[in-house]
Amino acid sequence: MRDSKSKFHGYNRRDFMLTGLGVAGGLALPTAFASRAFAADRPPIGTWPAGSAGDSVFIGITVPRTGAYALQGEDELKGYELAVEHINTGHPLIKKISPKTTKGVLGKTVKYGVADSGAKPNDAVQAEQRFISENKAVLMTGSTSSAVAVALNKLAQREKVLYVAGISGSNDTTGKDCVRYGFRQCFYGETAANAIGPVLLKTFGKNRKAAFMTPDYTYGHTVTKSMNDFLTKNGGWTMVTNQVSPLGAPDFSSYLTNIANSGAEILVNVNWGHDAVLSIQQAKQFGILPKMKLVVPYQVPFLAREVGAETMEGVYAATDFWWTLEDKYPLAKMFVEAFDKKYGYKPEWGAENAYMEFALWAEAVEHAGTFYPPEVIKSYEAGRKIDSVVGEVYWRAADHQLVRPVIIVRGKKPGDMKNKEDFWDVTEILPGAPLMQKPDAFGCKLGDYT
Amino acid sequence: MITWTNFVSQLFNGLALGALLALISSGLTIIYGTLGVLNLAHGAMFMLGGYAGYVAYEATGSFVVAVIAGTLFLLVVGVAMERLIIRHFYGRPHEDQLLVTFGLGIVMVELVRLFFSSLSKTVPPPQLLSGITSMGFLFYPTYRLAAVGIVAVALLAMYIVLYRTRLGMIVRAGIEDPVMVDSLGINVYRIFMIVFGIGAMAAGFAGIVNAPVASLTPDVGEAILVQTFVVVVIGGVGSFPGAVLGGLIAGEIISVTSMFNPGYAYVMLFGAMTLVLMLRPQGLLGTKGRE
Amino acid sequence: MLRQRPYLVEALLAIGLIAAPFILPHLGFAPDTVNRILVWGLFGIGFDILFGYTGLLSFGQSAFYGTGGFVAAYLLTRAGFPYVLLALILGMIAAAAVGFLVGLVALRRTGIYFAMITVAIAEVFYFVEFNPLAHWTGGENGLPGVPAPTLYLGFATVHMSTGWSLYPFLALCYFIGIVVALRIVRSPVGAIFSAIRENPLRAAAVGHSVHTYKLAAFVIAAAYAGLAGGLLGVLQAFMPPDAFTFETSGQLVILTAIGGRGTLFGPLLGATIWLYLQDYLQGSLGLGASWKLVLGLVFVLLVAFLRHGIIGGITDLYRWVSGRAAPAGTEETASLPGFEIGETQDASAAGTGRAAAVAPPPARRRPAPGFTGPILHATGLCKYYGGVVANADIDFSVNRGELRGIIGPNGAGKSTFFKMLTCEVPPSSGKIVFEGRDITGKTVTEVCQLGLTKSYQVNQLFNRLTVRENLTIAALAELRGKFRLDLLRSLRTFPGLREQVDHTLELVNLVECRDTPVAQLAYGEKRRLEVGLALASSPTLLLLDEPLAGMSPSERAETVTLLRSIGEGRTMIIIDHDMDALFNLAERITVLQEGRVLVEGTPDEIKSNAAVQEAYLGGVHGVIDE
Repeated sequence: MRDSKSKFHGYNRRDFMLTGLGVAGGLALPTAFASRAFAADRPPIGTWPAGSAGDSVFIGITVPRTGAYALQGEDELKGYELAVEHINTGHPLIKKISPKTTKGVLGKTVKYGVADSGAKPNDAVQAEQRFISENKAVLMTGSTSSAVAVALNKLAQREKVLYVAGISGSNDTTGKDCVRYGFRQCFYGETAANAIGPVLLKTFGKNRKAAFMTPDYTYGHTVTKSMNDFLTKNGGWTMVTNQVSPLGAPDFSSYLTNIANSGAEILVNVNWGHDAVLSIQQAKQFGILPKMKLVVPYQVPFLAREVGAETMEGVYAATDFWWTLEDKYPLAKMFVEAFDKKYGYKPEWGAENAYMEFALWAEAVEHAGTFYPPEVIKSYEAGRKIDSVVGEVYWRAADHQLVRPVIIVRGKKPGDMKNKEDFWDVTEILPGAPLMQKPDAFGCKLGDYT
Repeated sequence: MITWTNFVSQLFNGLALGALLALISSGLTIIYGTLGVLNLAHGAMFMLGGYAGYVAYEATGSFVVAVIAGTLFLLVVGVAMERLIIRHFYGRPHEDQLLVTFGLGIVMVELVRLFFSSLSKTVPPPQLLSGITSMGFLFYPTYRLAAVGIVAVALLAMYIVLYRTRLGMIVRAGIEDPVMVDSLGINVYRIFMIVFGIGAMAAGFAGIVNAPVASLTPDVGEAILVQTFVVVVIGGVGSFPGAVLGGLIAGEIISVTSMFNPGYAYVMLFGAMTLVLMLRPQGLLGTKGRE
Repeated sequence: MLRQRPYLVEALLAIGLIAAPFILPHLGFAPDTVNRILVWGLFGIGFDILFGYTGLLSFGQSAFYGTGGFVAAYLLTRAGFPYVLLALILGMIAAAAVGFLVGLVALRRTGIYFAMITVAIAEVFYFVEFNPLAHWTGGENGLPGVPAPTLYLGFATVHMSTGWSLYPFLALCYFIGIVVALRIVRSPVGAIFSAIRENPLRAAAVGHSVHTYKLAAFVIAAAYAGLAGGLLGVLQAFMPPDAFTFETSGQLVILTAIGGRGTLFGPLLGATIWLYLQDYLQGSLGLGASWKLVLGLVFVLLVAFLRHGIIGGITDLYRWVSGRAAPAGTEETASLPGFEIGETQDASAAGTGRAAAVAPPPARRRPAPGFTGPILHATGLCKYYGGVVANADIDFSVNRGELRGIIGPNGAGKSTFFKMLTCEVPPSSGKIVFEGRDITGKTVTEVCQLGLTKSYQVNQLFNRLTVRENLTIAALAELRGKFRLDLLRSLRTFPGLREQVDHTLELVNLVECRDTPVAQLAYGEKRRLEVGLALASSPTLLLLDEPLAGMSPSERAETVTLLRSIGEGRTMIIIDHDMDALFNLAERITVLQEGRVLVEGTPDEIKSNAAVQEAYLGGVHGVIDE
């Protein structure tokens, strides 16, 4: 960077409209100078070109490291770290996903900063804004809930800095709150419901009675609705009760008492994070499990480890990834081995999602041949078939959602587990495209490139 | 889910839930009543009791040892906290006491996270109490049934200590009139230390007794703390019987409301608190004039 | 320190805010961090008025932060309302309105109870935002797309977006916020806020409607929170649902405590340190998840060792360094910014000497029209506490201009009787008529406003305020009535206030220590101030509960002279154990025994009354003496 002394180097030109007030006036000059030096034909946008002017580029990561989602946040962070390491060293796995990669991205080393978001949108936005203005981040990432993902989506569009979502299950992230600068790799409410629904009908038959446990926020209500709509329409199921509980409830006994008295045969638990863990553990205590069959439409990383294999036996769940996919996909095997070697456990889907987000970004940038965001976005939108840890995938240009399979797993009998982390049987791998809604069905309008 | 069976079930569940809330709240309320310190670290102490018990359980495999360890550890923590920190705040405004206990709560939670990570920990109930008991109208976890009894015994023990011993007389006299106790030549500081220890112990005991019911995370105390506030406000700040009554009322409100509309269980709880404040601001069993 | 230049603080702040974008970047502050600090600072101004000035610690400020934020954000996004500034103001009004309603409930209790209630209320708000109102608030996704303001300056249009371009707008908001807050704390209302913090009981007793003032402080804090909430949405083009969480309230409390409460700038400084450390610990030190542990420890240490936060610490250090000039122990004073007085007059006043030379302030109130009977008339007063009879069947009457003494052995029910007369406790039965008005069941504040007040047996002073400030608060009650919202009026230019305070100062002979904080006064001085507080509201009927208690003989003599002088043209009732003094002072004496009136008469009659001697000496005849 030629003008490293100026903190405002490369700062957005829109920000200097106030020159008349004399506040920003003195600061505008170095920016204009720097911009001219780097881009004769394109005006600077977001952190470009300042962010990629040196021999390294910076990624801003915010994950929850304290609070209710800290566990998932730390797992996600490991996936990011591994991806960065692989990108910088030109690991064979990255080269499989992004064949053009040598070392780094376009020859530049990837650096990153991590900030604790506490799973709070406000803190996440705060941290990313700092990464943008201070470190000239070229990419933002991290979320364990859609609240954060949506907030960062909007930040990305405003700041014109790319954002790849972490864990985000809401339809809104690539639905009504989608943006041109945001991308999502993982599965979501709609695909989860459409994937697991037929499996449930096939396994449990028609005209069953189901009790739902729903966390009381938009994500919970949407997933419950998608599931219930599918099951009533296609299988004649009835929802006998829907127990709505607040986030972070310390006890589920009153909800479970209602369920116990509801006469349901199947328990669909939409709760997430520790709420899912606790509600399932307590359902077991109440004898609701295994009397009722448990279904988890949107799998929670570490769920089986925390709840225990006895409880999870026979439980159906939809997920993004499970490590035994290594038997089917060579890339999955490489990923699981590398991860296990570095961190000493098999990766959960949060880590896989994180790894893939970075790998896919590296792929897009290499293909674009530039960090210029509109070009990178167009590279994403080109819809290339890309090899991934779950086979061939591609981006859907209209809503920036990755078209990728959804994995259906069933809890193993403790006796059948080959090792202490062998919790799930992968029963089905459902291709993504048929599971997805039409791109505009949830009101997605991507917005501008510049 | 409004059926007769379910109603009876929920009434019972409310009792079980309320008993536990009563136990946690009683520690908070006697500390406040005697020392005039609202311990915002109380939720963290509840959590700490669970973790101390967990460590003991992992080492010995005995639930009884875990309960004893969790309780004693918090007694030690409570006494140490009083001697090293809280004591220096008696002469300072109430707000300072709130601030320092608030800060200590954060430190405790993050220390536990540092040592135990955020992965939830489970302490299973003892063999004898695991499983499910049929009560005719509902199946209820045996341990939860037993916990009602355990909590009842603990509350009774606290009642005896507070109402049938010399120490208890002094403590209650102190709640009524701290100046008088001081003038009787009783070493108030020692009493304060003991009371803080007992209050912390109650939180620790509740923490480990609750551990088989709800798995442990570093954040387990936060949601509980707010609920104990509501319990204490309903029952009357500083009143031990008030905490018990408030706990039971809170448990029943949460349970019974969930029968009609589970989403509103907590709103009803806060609504009840507001109602009490409007009609009887000192709380159901609180004495007027105590602030 | 800055007394002679009233606008110095404002000027320094303006310079600081203008200089900030040129200096802070070199210290490692990103523009958005600076903007965020301003929002926290603005949020904190209101909270500091509530907590630092009025002494009400609320853990529920997030409720108003969120309310203001979401009202503004909703208007600007979903409702398509085009005027950013107006939306911000509407959000602020909504927050203030909600604050008013919440205050009605929460302020029914004080102290820790109040803190707990605010926690619970904030939780309800979070729930309501998250669920029943999710349609309007976006639930857990919040409201994205909040536009930044655009200013039409006539000759040019200024678009603001992020970073430094938004900074001038936020800085201006903060500046206005501080200017208004300074006016508020320098206004009579601000003085009364401090009085409530120091001694709510006395603030009520000198005639201020404490509850209404508290509600005012609560609403002010809510309004600031609402505006800050709206600006948060503008700042990040997104209104986050977590603005409503308990943690937001908690963080505000932490920031204020770190910076220094009762300073208005505390939250700004606290936010600067907190946000900087948060970045520094995670970024430069790479502490990862344990950043919060370290910050928690830092916070505990700060609370333990720096009682008044960093600003308080700096002030103490400044005093310590600037050394012996300052009187010892000043660190406990919290001065009211409005009490600034010219030095010239003080020099002359200091020489005036003894108090007796000064005429007492007139008893200014008028009786009810056409009223002529006794100024105070109580009939059949009884007071029971459970089964215990404190007072029974007391008939008591005092004429205008009379100086009445009340004596009685310990436990005769003198203090309870006084408390009933001043309406501190309601009688179990009976009736009290003051100047022809039935005052039974009125509050102590109302009665004081009518012209009946009391000096307390145990000093009830505003301890961290100076003597002058104490008297000002009492005088304000007379000049302004029990409640008035003159938030922007300067205390210094309040007509008649200075005269009344100076007069009382001279009367109770405290001119020389007028700028000394009460905590540093000698006991006799405090007793005189206690009487002065009652006098400063120029009552028609003054009750004095043991004004001579605990005084040395010379102090007694001085106080008796004082009492005699203030008794002129005024009705007074005095309880004391010093019978010689009372017999000397009073025209008539009432003797209470076992809760009843034993006898009433002139001092001479009382001295020779057998029943009185019986009561005091248990039948052994002799001279009554203490």
